[in-house]
Amino acid sequence: MTQTLDVADERLSQLAGAHPAAAPTSTQTRASKLGTFAITFGIAFALLYTVYERLNWPLFTYHPASGKLEFWKQMAGVGPPMFWYGWIVLAAASALVVGWIATMVSAPSLRRATVFCCALAALWPTALAALSVFIVSYATFDADFLNSVWIAAIPALVGAAAVTYVVPSRLADRVWTSWLLTVPIAGLIVLGYSLQQYFVR
Amino acid sequence: MDFIFDYIRVDTFWKILLFTHFALAVALLAAVTLQAVTVLMPARQVAGNFVDRSPMPAVSYTTLIIVLYVVQALLGAWIYVKYRTYVRIPMEELRFWKTLGSFEFKEHVIAMGLGLLPAYWYFWQQPRSAEHAVVRKWVTIFLALSVWYGFVIGHLANDFRGVGSL
Repeated sequence: MTQTLDVADERLSQLAGAHPAAAPTSTQTRASKLGTFAITFGIAFALLYTVYERLNWPLFTYHPASGKLEFWKQMAGVGPPMFWYGWIVLAAASALVVGWIATMVSAPSLRRATVFCCALAALWPTALAALSVFIVSYATFDADFLNSVWIAAIPALVGAAAVTYVVPSRLADRVWTSWLLTVPIAGLIVLGYSLQQYFVR
Repeated sequence: MDFIFDYIRVDTFWKILLFTHFALAVALLAAVTLQAVTVLMPARQVAGNFVDRSPMPAVSYTTLIIVLYVVQALLGAWIYVKYRTYVRIPMEELRFWKTLGSFEFKEHVIAMGLGLLPAYWYFWQQPRSAEHAVVRKWVTIFLALSVWYGFVIGHLANDFRGVGSL
């Protein structure tokens, strides 16, 4: 019975495919926007969650001992503070906004913007780490002023812009959905590495 | 919520909640594993009508998996409040660092899985579409692995201090 239905479904699909190409209907446009939103949300959520966790930017802090909920990061209070809820909610809210914006821009611009953001996310901490190594090992002058996230942002922005410029449109288009897996896996590697203190004691 | 404690003891309430979390985890694990196996080893086309039934289509698990994943995340987030004070502090005192680190990583794994759910739902709306076949397969496998990781590590944390532990 299921097989019969499957065959009927396939025949219907073939019939639907036999019609001449027409302008996309409102249903197709809606489905396409939904897809754009869902994929962008997935990429943005993983990226932003990693960033918020690393910077420790929770939307709110929960103190389980007192049951108090406080806005942003509040270390002081009775008992240990909990930030995980705050990171998730902030990442979800930000990703919702990013996903909504993504439905309003053209597909090529969105692909390019994704490449730019992912490259920036990789290059910014790399630049910061490289500056730290330079300050400690190579600088022959007092280079402490270089040890700043905003100084590291300059080479990171330039690098991300260069990567976005160099990557061909077709490649950016082809790998777009792959970011959906690449970003969470990369995020988990970063977050896992940050937990190494628990495994090397 | 305190009115509940007029009828049952506080620790009994948390143990019931933990057991519910475990029971739903088993259901989620079964569903997501079956779907992952289906995408990894799709059923072959049978010759003629010799076999009159096909395996359960993978798409039928999608809504169930999403609902269970979200419910489990919410339930886990609730139990996490108790974990933070009642389990994690003794874990630190007794220097169970690997269990603690693995549980911290579980938070991140589940969060990543939550973020992928809208895309997972979208990809499974057109299960026959070849356009997203590869990413649909790997998102499904990622979710399955995240659930397996959460289940195993949750079980370890429970063994430290939870249902049936000393």
